[in-house]
Amino acid sequence: MAVQMNSSSDNAAVTMEQLCKWYGSFQVLHNVDLSVAVGERIVVCGPSGSGKSTLVRCINQLETHEKGRLIVNGVELYKGMRGLAELRRDVGMVFQQFNLFPHLTVLDNCTLALVRARKLPRDQAEEIAMENLKKVRIPEQAHKFPTQLSGGQQQRVAIARALCMKPKLMLFDEPTSALDPEMIKEVLDVMTELARDGMTMICVTHEMGFAREVADRIIFMDSGRIIEQAAPSKFFKNPEHPRAQQFLGQMLH
Amino acid sequence: MNFNFSFAIEIVPRVLEGIGNTVMIAIISFIGAAALGLFWELLRRSHATIRPVIQFVIDAIRSTPALVQIYFLFFVLPYYGLTLPALLVGSFGLSFYYSGYMSEVFKAGIDAVPAGQSEAAQSLGLSWADMIRFVILPQMLRNVAAPLGAYSISILKSTPLLAVISVPELLGSALDVASDTYRYAEPMFDVGVLFLAMSLVAVAGITQLERRLGLTAPSH
Repeated sequence: MAVQMNSSSDNAAVTMEQLCKWYGSFQVLHNVDLSVAVGERIVVCGPSGSGKSTLVRCINQLETHEKGRLIVNGVELYKGMRGLAELRRDVGMVFQQFNLFPHLTVLDNCTLALVRARKLPRDQAEEIAMENLKKVRIPEQAHKFPTQLSGGQQQRVAIARALCMKPKLMLFDEPTSALDPEMIKEVLDVMTELARDGMTMICVTHEMGFAREVADRIIFMDSGRIIEQAAPSKFFKNPEHPRAQQFLGQMLH
Repeated sequence: MNFNFSFAIEIVPRVLEGIGNTVMIAIISFIGAAALGLFWELLRRSHATIRPVIQFVIDAIRSTPALVQIYFLFFVLPYYGLTLPALLVGSFGLSFYYSGYMSEVFKAGIDAVPAGQSEAAQSLGLSWADMIRFVILPQMLRNVAAPLGAYSISILKSTPLLAVISVPELLGSALDVASDTYRYAEPMFDVGVLFLAMSLVAVAGITQLERRLGLTAPSH
């Protein structure tokens, strides 16, 4: 019994049980059950307003759930809990709008949390930052300010900034939706590479090519519910739910 | 009795005796008001439970006349065994009064920093204090530079209020001249001109400072 519990918590990066959330009287999440294994790549898709972003934002508690259980990296999360900052250091987040710190250079964006939260000495933090900037292929921009970069470059910096913390899990909330078409690929390439390195990833995205290539599992949401989840091969060929069929029909045309 | 221009010039050295104190009070009060105002705002923001209390304090500070607050402090503190120099009490009074306004400036300045900034800071696992210090405040500073500049001039122009508690500042020394010579127009004229000059200098300085702040990072 004990062994079983250990192995299940070792394997699960995220576990949701009957998760519910309301915005006022509007229910955004309806009894969501979801388990994400360590190393698994999940793509969450669905029409706008279906609760995809909220689902992902619950995982690092930018949104709090009102009912049900949520366990991330082996720790149950709840509203008003202590030690949340520490837990968030293991969960990387990439936003649609990049959210880089505009008053800091690219390098300082990457080192801030290493120095302040991880308490690393400056030179060590810079070394880690440069490593990750190389990984996203923009080490030469380290001393520029975010606004001097293109959208695609900014998003890659945001990915590097999150990676600097050596997260166990990466969340992507529509990372390419604010990008010009020609910049989407450079960001997706970095994400694909990350997936190949074995990172546990949960991505809200409408990039179906990326989903097909990278995802282990596609989660389809509608009106705050997960109404279908399947491997991409199955999901794209014959989705079961009519809502998913309709969505895919619109996406692929 | 006509306005005598040469007399107005003749008494300038005597009126000027108070200018050092005026400048000092303005600077102390500005720093005090900004520090206390930021304190109110951070307190209001950090603890949801005491938020209404802080809001009431801020509203109370802003809803009573500065002159009344200064009188009150000056006469009430000694009852509690705290006898401070009038200049200090006055500076504290102005700091206190303007802190109410400053807290609103800081509130607007922080609100104007996009929500994504604090979300990113939180996602990285920064503590609340680090988030405020390294992410929010530096960005707020540029939002509040202009209103803070305006309040610094307001504070400068409020320093004559301290004449009522006998602080030897510009208005005080002008009143001394007036009571010695029975002429009021010229000393008041001098005070007005001196304030005009100080305000113009302050505005130029603030514009310069803002320009420099704007250069520390590229604007959006």
